[in-house]
Amino acid sequence: MKNELPGRGLILNYVIALAAIFSLNFALPRLMPGDPLHAIYGDEALVSMTAEMEAHLIKQFALDRTWTDQLATYLIGLLHGNLGYSYYYKDQVSAVIMGALPWTLLLTLLALAIATVIGVIMGIEAASRRGKLLDRGLTASLIFLSGFPMFFMGILLLLIFGVSLGWAPLFGAITPYSGLEGLDYLKDLCRHLALPVSALVLVLVGDTFLITRSTVISMLAESFIMTSRAIGCSEFKVKYAHTGRNSLLPVVTETGMRIPHLLIQTLFIEIVFSYPGVGLLLNTALSSRDYPLIQGILLLLTVLVLTINLFVDLLYSKLDPRVRYAH
Amino acid sequence: MHIDPFRAVASDRLALAGLFILATIVFMAVFAPVLTFFSPDCYTGQIFSHPSLMHPLGTDSLGQDIWSRLLYGARTTLLVAAGVAVISVILSVLVGASAALIGGMYESIWMRIVDAMYSVPPIIVMILVAAYIRPSLLITILMISLLSWPEGARIIRSQVLSLKEREHIYASKTFGAGRRHIFKSHIAPELGPLIMAMTVQDARRAVFMEAGMGFLGVSDPMTISLGKMIHQALDFTYLEVWKWWLLPTGLALSLTLVALCFIGFSLEAAMDPRLVPGPLERSKEQC
Repeated sequence: MKNELPGRGLILNYVIALAAIFSLNFALPRLMPGDPLHAIYGDEALVSMTAEMEAHLIKQFALDRTWTDQLATYLIGLLHGNLGYSYYYKDQVSAVIMGALPWTLLLTLLALAIATVIGVIMGIEAASRRGKLLDRGLTASLIFLSGFPMFFMGILLLLIFGVSLGWAPLFGAITPYSGLEGLDYLKDLCRHLALPVSALVLVLVGDTFLITRSTVISMLAESFIMTSRAIGCSEFKVKYAHTGRNSLLPVVTETGMRIPHLLIQTLFIEIVFSYPGVGLLLNTALSSRDYPLIQGILLLLTVLVLTINLFVDLLYSKLDPRVRYAH
Repeated sequence: MHIDPFRAVASDRLALAGLFILATIVFMAVFAPVLTFFSPDCYTGQIFSHPSLMHPLGTDSLGQDIWSRLLYGARTTLLVAAGVAVISVILSVLVGASAALIGGMYESIWMRIVDAMYSVPPIIVMILVAAYIRPSLLITILMISLLSWPEGARIIRSQVLSLKEREHIYASKTFGAGRRHIFKSHIAPELGPLIMAMTVQDARRAVFMEAGMGFLGVSDPMTISLGKMIHQALDFTYLEVWKWWLLPTGLALSLTLVALCFIGFSLEAAMDPRLVPGPLERSKEQC
């Protein structure tokens, strides 16, 4: 029985992908012309470096030994969670990233939750009014919105509500040095969250809407819906308890599959709104050529994306046994 | 699967709108030297000047004419889109079709590679590599192509696998047709609509990635890119210049993406039998 264990082939894929990214991270600075230490740390960092520090770093990266030793040192360092030292922030890369990650996760998860709830409700309502004005209007406008690049949606919102109307703050996650506490702090947080989250939601909601709508439309033709109508269920119950619940499976898996995409888009949104998450950190790292930080961020993102993908794949084959035989 | 992609697009208002927008942008990019007074890199002697007859969109913080930068930026965008679409689709078809037709070890190795590449978002790899080498336009096109073919290869392979089992293919094998003949005269023609949809999809992703790299400042500093212009303009939102700098640039990029999205959506809808409405509903569905 070749198909008995769907997980094994999947996990192998992810191991290969991860290995490829690790080797890219390892090989890129060493393949650059010139001194690998310069490529690992960037020229800017080495200007202020003394000879002893350089010697120490060469020893630390095992740059004076064979490349197998270098690889071993690199991998052992990674296993210890050592991503290197960010000279721009003068701190361990892992510590710098961990400081920014919560903001990114907050933004991503909040947008995902809001977009999914709104998308499902609108999808069900549109499907049950198929062909009516509401359905047509929603479908057309959401297709239009989902074609928009998210960061431009962010820019538009920033220009309209931030710059022109002045309703929302232009940058950051909290007002600096305001010393707010308790409820006021929360309010300040929400004011800063409003625009970035809306930008993400506006673009994201279209896909959820379209999937829900097409699933519900095909579900409404099933005989159990006719039965529930016949026994006198209220229209609300038919729509949400019977149809809606049964259409959740494709919605959930599709949502899961889109998380990596959302994560990438969030990075751009953060840069637009100067939101202090991983995206803004990446932007700073790229412009100051802080290579250890760039590598650390991209490595973390890859691991995150691969984990989510693996999880969704496993969940999918568990929820829908047909997938197991598709490969 | 007998679908005429041209008719599908021509009978869909959304797709027609997309084609129209795209055609306008292509026209402006092609005739950029005729439509502008200044070269995009030329310092005009005045920074942040308001829109005027000489500078339809004013000048930016470096005194460059925004209108001409916009048109030349659109050139980069379209060049990357077209280049990537062609190279990536060719790679997809080569790998996908050959894997499905040859099978065995060859197929499983290729599909392993495809699956592994498919699970890493291309833009992450792209940023990582570009941070080191700051790729020129040509390298950018090649890199994006190399990263985006696996998805198409997967689709082509499964399509060829199902086409391979058709009666007429067996019949043609009985008459002694070789693999090459079967692919050329029985399989390739059926792949047409799918390839068109993939081309649009690849072009769209390429536009986004090129803009994203420009936005993050990791592309060749000499390339004029809409993404880079947007990033530059974002630093000056406190001045009035965003009205003719940030907004038109972002709009141009978004319109390109939206146009490709409309065309792709209608091609995909034409190929998915579940989404094709019956003759009665067709008029209703069009919005």
